[in-house]
Amino acid sequence: MALYRALIRKEFLLLSRDPHGLLLLFVMPAVFVLIMTFALQNQYAMNKETRLDFFLVNQDGGSLSAAFARELGAASPFNRVSAEAPEQTLRQRARADEVMFLVLVQPDFESNLADRGQAVRLLIAPGTSPVFAGIAEGRVTELLNRFYLQYRMAFLPGISAGALDTSSSMVASESLFDDSGMLPSSVQHNVPAWLLFAMFFIAVPLSTTLIHERQQGTLMRLQTMGVSRARVLAGKVVPYLLVNLMQVLVLFLIGLYLIPLLGGDKLTLGNHSTGLVLVSVAASLAAVCYALFIAQITATVEQATIVAAVCNIIMAAIGGVMVPRFLMPETMRQLGDFSPMAWGLEGFFDILLRNGTVVDVLPETGGLVSFAALMLVLTFVFSPRSASA
Amino acid sequence: MVTIEPLSYQYSSRSAPVLDGISLTVADGALFGLLGPNGAGKTTLLSMLTGLLPCQPGTIFVDGQDVAMPGARIAAGLALVPQDYAFYLPLTVGENLRFFAGVQGISKAKIAERVDHCARLTGIQDRLQERAGRLSGGLKRRLNLAIGLLTEPRLLLLDEPTVGIDPHSRHFILETIRDLNQQGTTVIYTSHYMEEVEELCDRVAIMDHGRLLREGPLPELLSAGEGSLENLFLNLTHRQLRD
Repeated sequence: MALYRALIRKEFLLLSRDPHGLLLLFVMPAVFVLIMTFALQNQYAMNKETRLDFFLVNQDGGSLSAAFARELGAASPFNRVSAEAPEQTLRQRARADEVMFLVLVQPDFESNLADRGQAVRLLIAPGTSPVFAGIAEGRVTELLNRFYLQYRMAFLPGISAGALDTSSSMVASESLFDDSGMLPSSVQHNVPAWLLFAMFFIAVPLSTTLIHERQQGTLMRLQTMGVSRARVLAGKVVPYLLVNLMQVLVLFLIGLYLIPLLGGDKLTLGNHSTGLVLVSVAASLAAVCYALFIAQITATVEQATIVAAVCNIIMAAIGGVMVPRFLMPETMRQLGDFSPMAWGLEGFFDILLRNGTVVDVLPETGGLVSFAALMLVLTFVFSPRSASA
Repeated sequence: MVTIEPLSYQYSSRSAPVLDGISLTVADGALFGLLGPNGAGKTTLLSMLTGLLPCQPGTIFVDGQDVAMPGARIAAGLALVPQDYAFYLPLTVGENLRFFAGVQGISKAKIAERVDHCARLTGIQDRLQERAGRLSGGLKRRLNLAIGLLTEPRLLLLDEPTVGIDPHSRHFILETIRDLNQQGTTVIYTSHYMEEVEELCDRVAIMDHGRLLREGPLPELLSAGEGSLENLFLNLTHRQLRD
């Protein structure tokens, strides 16, 4: 026990004197979480403050097109930005992403509407996401359909304008997260995603210490003192597991307190904290054993840093850390199934997004623990042969 | 007493053995110099003594115990001071000493006493709070030695302990080794500095290409007519450059 106490204390001392390692493990993910949470806030929170700004040029001048323009400006989530300028100027401004799109109400609006012809043109700004462009197109089409029905049915006796309302009030949407009706926000995605990314970066400080020990002869000296290589590695697992769990704590606290303080959504932890702990420990185990493997297969700190960074970025990219997997095509999603970061992320999502239970996270934790075991076996397979101390 | 019975070792990557049938005896209380040019097999021999490499074939007995047996090297009170600064540069001198004491099973109550004793013995008692990485070369060598002394070893293996340091530190380290030997510690000392070995050791072995070329009491080797240990060494190892 005294041996492990000494080894663990040594690791903590070494890490506490490694400012770059601390920066990588704690500051980098915190900054990523803050930036990405606020940057993607609207992508996830369509029910809240999303505003689709647009310019409108009415090339018709009739009363029906004026009514259409008025209603479009008042419809949620549209926001007509007033601008008295020629069409070309507004096109330029839309191209510069001043608004999300430009609505051109075509001449002869009424006859185009009656003939189901092209009554409106929608010019999408280059920076507008396809999701918002789709929403805009859908809502404009819906409004045009209503105008068409009103135009056609107005001649029929006994049908009021209200009966022709095709608005979305006929549909009620609810979150399946829990009974509170709360919708998941970008913080629910970004905190676990960047947390996992940072957890796997434990490979950099861990391999740095192990390679220094190897290069400086400290590992050899420890072996002559009766401390086997396996014990040295075991002495690294516990402190770095604890460091990973400290990362979990710090990033969750940021999601719970700092992000709401800065005006973002609060992280909701779900109702099954045991599942959260299980995923955190399994992901941490996978990250630490992966770090041991990286340290084993590389000869210098420079090699280890590059290999760890490249592997982490690839695992993060295909695992849904950088781009949510639901936005990926099927092939990329299948590729992501090979990334332990994807398993960890799904585990966290089971609890944070789907309000799942411990049973729901068992497949992901099982995958992470198996990955950890595989990395550990490979670490010993690649370990240099020497007599036991 | 250290008894090495025909000992050989061959790395799989090399065609010739690094050690080729070495037999040697080091008596208790000896200050034994092990000399040889680069690639002679000195470090391999020390690695086998400390159990880092297996004997293939051959046997090493320390105080009658085969060092290949589990725990035998610890029981034999054997410690190695390697040529490298084999400690943690970001840690302080005190933290390094406490760490190496802790991993060697020295009890918590005794750690402070041993750290203090070894620091005084090597003249680094005023540097306990300093980061090891900021020490001069001489102080690093003394810390390296101090770590090796933590368990009060009965057999101390020193692998070129004075490489790259100033004359004052070298003198201090040599004096410390002499004192330790006079207190009963058996020392096996490897060095490239002939004058150090000549000044310090009572018995010397010269080896090259994995073989023992000459071994005996220092006065006996010097009386053979070569004049100095350096001449004897150069004559035996044929003077050609090795690196």
